[in-house]
This record gives sequence, C-alpha cells and structure tokens, in this order.
Amino acid sequence: MNKAIEIENVNKSYGDVRALEDVNLTIEQGEFFGLLGPNGAGKSTLIGVLGGLVNKDSGQVTVLGNDVVQNYRKTKKSLGIVPQEVVFDPYFNVRETLEIQSGYFGVKDNGERIDEVLDALGLKYKEDTNIRGLSGGMKRRLLIAKALVHDPDIIVLDEPTAGVDVELRKSLWDYVIKLNEQGKTIILTTHYLEEAEQLCDRIAILNKGRVVAVDQKEELIKRIDKKVIEVKLQHKPNNIEELFPTAANIEWTDTNKLKLETTRGNVISLLDKIQNSSLEIVDIDVNSAKLEDVFMKLTSLGGEENE
Amino acid sequence: MSDLITFYSLVKREIWRFSKVAIQTVFAPLISTSLYLIIFSYSFRSREVAEYGIDYIKFIVPGLIMMSLIQNSFANTSSSLIVAKYQGSIVDLLLAPFSYMQLTLGLMIGGIARGLVVGLAIYLIATFFYSGAVYSVGLFILFSFLISGIFSLFGIIAGLWAEKFDHISIFSNFFITPLTFLSGVFYSVKNLPGIWSKVSLFNPVFYMIDMARYAFVGISDAKLSLSITIVGTLFIVLFFLTTYLFKIGYKIKD
Repeated sequence: MNKAIEIENVNKSYGDVRALEDVNLTIEQGEFFGLLGPNGAGKSTLIGVLGGLVNKDSGQVTVLGNDVVQNYRKTKKSLGIVPQEVVFDPYFNVRETLEIQSGYFGVKDNGERIDEVLDALGLKYKEDTNIRGLSGGMKRRLLIAKALVHDPDIIVLDEPTAGVDVELRKSLWDYVIKLNEQGKTIILTTHYLEEAEQLCDRIAILNKGRVVAVDQKEELIKRIDKKVIEVKLQHKPNNIEELFPTAANIEWTDTNKLKLETTRGNVISLLDKIQNSSLEIVDIDVNSAKLEDVFMKLTSLGGEENE
Repeated sequence: MSDLITFYSLVKREIWRFSKVAIQTVFAPLISTSLYLIIFSYSFRSREVAEYGIDYIKFIVPGLIMMSLIQNSFANTSSSLIVAKYQGSIVDLLLAPFSYMQLTLGLMIGGIARGLVVGLAIYLIATFFYSGAVYSVGLFILFSFLISGIFSLFGIIAGLWAEKFDHISIFSNFFITPLTFLSGVFYSVKNLPGIWSKVSLFNPVFYMIDMARYAFVGISDAKLSLSITIVGTLFIVLFFLTTYLFKIGYKIKD
C-alpha cells in the first residue's frame, strides 16, 4: 500500500531564509498526524508544497505514490487543504461556493455531500448568505467545508480552529475523528497543543525549517523526564525550598496549591517526604509531562534533537 | 468526464461572476458606447468616409463594437484575477486539479463571453442608427472571438503581474486605451498625415479593428491576410505565454 505522503529531502528558501531544510517525513494512510512548530517553523510552507501553492527548491514529495509536481492533478484530487488564512470569493453565497468547489474537483450534482458537510459544520442555515456577510468564524467553517466537499482521502488542516468558538471546535473535531475512523488520513497543524495531544497518533515538530522530532505522541512525551506533583494545602508553609531540596521549580499558587517538579525516579521519595511532613494536605495530584513540555524543549533548543 | 466537469466549472464560475455584477460589467459599458453612437450619429449624420464610400456611422460601428469587446474582455480576466489575489481566493484555483492549459482556457472563455455579450448588445443598439447589415457575419464572429481572446489573455497576464488594483489601471489607461483610440476606431489611418499613417502600422490593435471592419463592411485599410497573420500569431503567443506563466506560478506561487 502506498504511503499517504512521503517527503524526501525537501528544501525551500526565500532569499537567505531557509524555510525548509532537508525535510523528511512519511505519513501512513489512515493516520491522524500532527505537524507542530512555532510561528515561522515552515509548517505552512510544507503544506504549500503538498498542495502546489509553493514551488520547492529540491527534494521529492509524493501523495499516495504520485509526485506532486509530475502528477499534480492526481495529487490535488486526493488532498483537501484548509489554508491558514481566511480567504473567500466575494461573489457567491455559501452553497454556490461549495457547488463551484465540487465542480473544480470534477464532482457534479454534489448536493447530498454538500448538505452533509454544511450540517456537520453548522453552516446549513447560512447556505444562502453571501460570504461577505459571514462572521470570521463562519468564514473559517466554510474554508473547512470547501476542503471536505470533494471527499478527499487526505485532509490537511492548517490551524483550522484559530478564532473558532469552543462549541464549533468540539463539533469539528468530532466530525474529523469520524472521517479518520472512516479511513481518511488527517494532517493537523495547530497552536492548541492540547488539541494535538488529544487527537494525533503521531507528531512531527518543526523548528526553523527542520524536523526536530517525529514519533508516536506517547514516545515524544516520554522524552521529557518530568513529573509535577500538585499538593493542595490548608495553609501556606514556611521555608518551602528547605522542605523539599530535591524538587525543582517549586511554586505556590493562589489556590493554595504547592507545585513541585521532579523526575520519574524521584517521584516516590518526594511523595513519601510530603506524606511524612507536617503539612496539612487536602489533595494530591501527580501529572506527567505534556506535549507542550516537549514542544518547548525541542523548539527552544533550536533543533538539537534533530532526527 | 471528471476532467470536463473541472473545466466546465471554471468557465461557469467566470461567467457567473460577471453576471452577478452585470450592472457594472455589462450595462455600464453599454451606456458609454451608446453615448458614442448618439453623439457621432448626430454630429456626423450626413458625413461619408471617402476611402470607404460609406456613412461615418457604419464606419465606426465595428470599431466601437471591437473597442468594447477589447475593454470588457480585458477587464473581466484582469479583475477576476486581481480580486482573487486580493481576497486570497486565488488558492482555490491553485489547490484545484486544473491543468495549466485549462486555467488559461477557462479564464479566457469567461473574458470572451463578457466581451461577446457586450459586443452583441452594442450591435443591437447600433441597429437603431444604421441598417444593421454585416458583410460577413461568420468572419465577424470569428474575428470577435479571436480579438476578445487576445485581450482576455492580456487581462490574465496583467492580473498575474498586478499586485494591486492600480497596476491594472496602468495597463488599461497607458496601453489599451491609447492603442485602441489610435487604432482607427474613429478614422481611417489612410487619412492620417505623413509619418502617423506609418506609425499606426506598428499598433497591433489597428489590424484587429481593420479586420473586424472588413468583416463588417467588406473594405479594409490593410491586407486581410496580413491582419489575420499578425492577430493570429499574437493570439498563439499570448496563449502559450499565459499557460507558461501559470505553470511557473508567476506571482501566484511562492
């Protein structure tokens, strides 16, 4: 079976700025793949190369086995890309836009699918509204609808929930999860790392145009040897630092919580110490590292953990 | 089949677009050209063009039709593209599976359609001012397609090159309007004094107006074969140049 996407040694520069540097990535069919990175990391450039919006300088990219340059018409049909910028054609209403979009991808009489997508994205009641009359969030929903209307095998969502309210975000993710369960490959870039952590099977982190990590989400998180113990207390103790000298980043919060950061190996001994102390404990939580910790480490190091 | 639907959808979108703003794209040009017809028919009502042996009004009708056709074909494709670039919806064209030739043809046909709609309406209005006779309807239609095709392509190139609306007006105000007004729409270039008659021969729009006038009244200033060769060559060059610009993503791809 062909890979959904294979990216080999892709480079792209804008003048002196290297937007993509020897990028290599393979995405399997049916994966829910996260592409993360700070602003300017090269995520949108990479998506642009996939969709034919950006001419790469070198390297090869295939979509379902087809080269994005040689067989660009086939690859474009397989892709449904939601661009990051809110763009719209001001002449048409919502339904007309989706009819035109379906036609562009060779699908005629697509009313049923258009209805399904409009329903899923809560746009049905706006179908006769000109796009200029839609709010920012509604315009973004329409962008997503446009990417889905031709029922592509691979759906690329470039920051799809920026500026979108919580309710839609949830309904959007429910719909995308359903599509993924139907076998569609999903590629997601987002600034909301919790979303990526909840949704994605595998994650690549880009920094300064380079892939600094790509792995299963759980494996990535394991790279950070960190446990955070949160102890809710009746009263703020004196000399916190002296009580727990082995803990790092000791913090007292407004909600009467003592936060202690430690490593996996030290967590049991630190818990013993807390229990044996004279502190009046109300509650205790132990949290593992989060994707955000991995993200911060890899991107702030400027790609030292290059793979 | 799906390939045809893809192409048809682009053509449909282009025609649908200008139909939605028909007051601006179709009726406004009709008003201005009708004013030309009214003013010229009143001012020169008994005047004859000696070189052609026909009424002045019949002489200028094919030129006026072509002038509107040129301006509207150009305006259609250039504004379609610059609005798409300005609003960002150009990505719809780039992400869709169009071949580069389909993009050229689809946008061009949209421009031709608007040019022909306006041209036909002007012809119908002109029949109030003269008999409405046309020497060769077939040739006139053929030349109309060719000429509006050229300016549709020119509009695509301008739309690709332009970064703001001002850039489009550079094309229309500094190239298209002067070349059209100096092409013999309102006069026979044979009447021009000395060198100016020769200079006109370097204006490609002169050959377009001249061949259209031949199809309309059966007489022309230049040889028809020369006009067809120049205009046909220009069409082919512009068509392949436009397709090439789409291929390299000139000013639309990073």
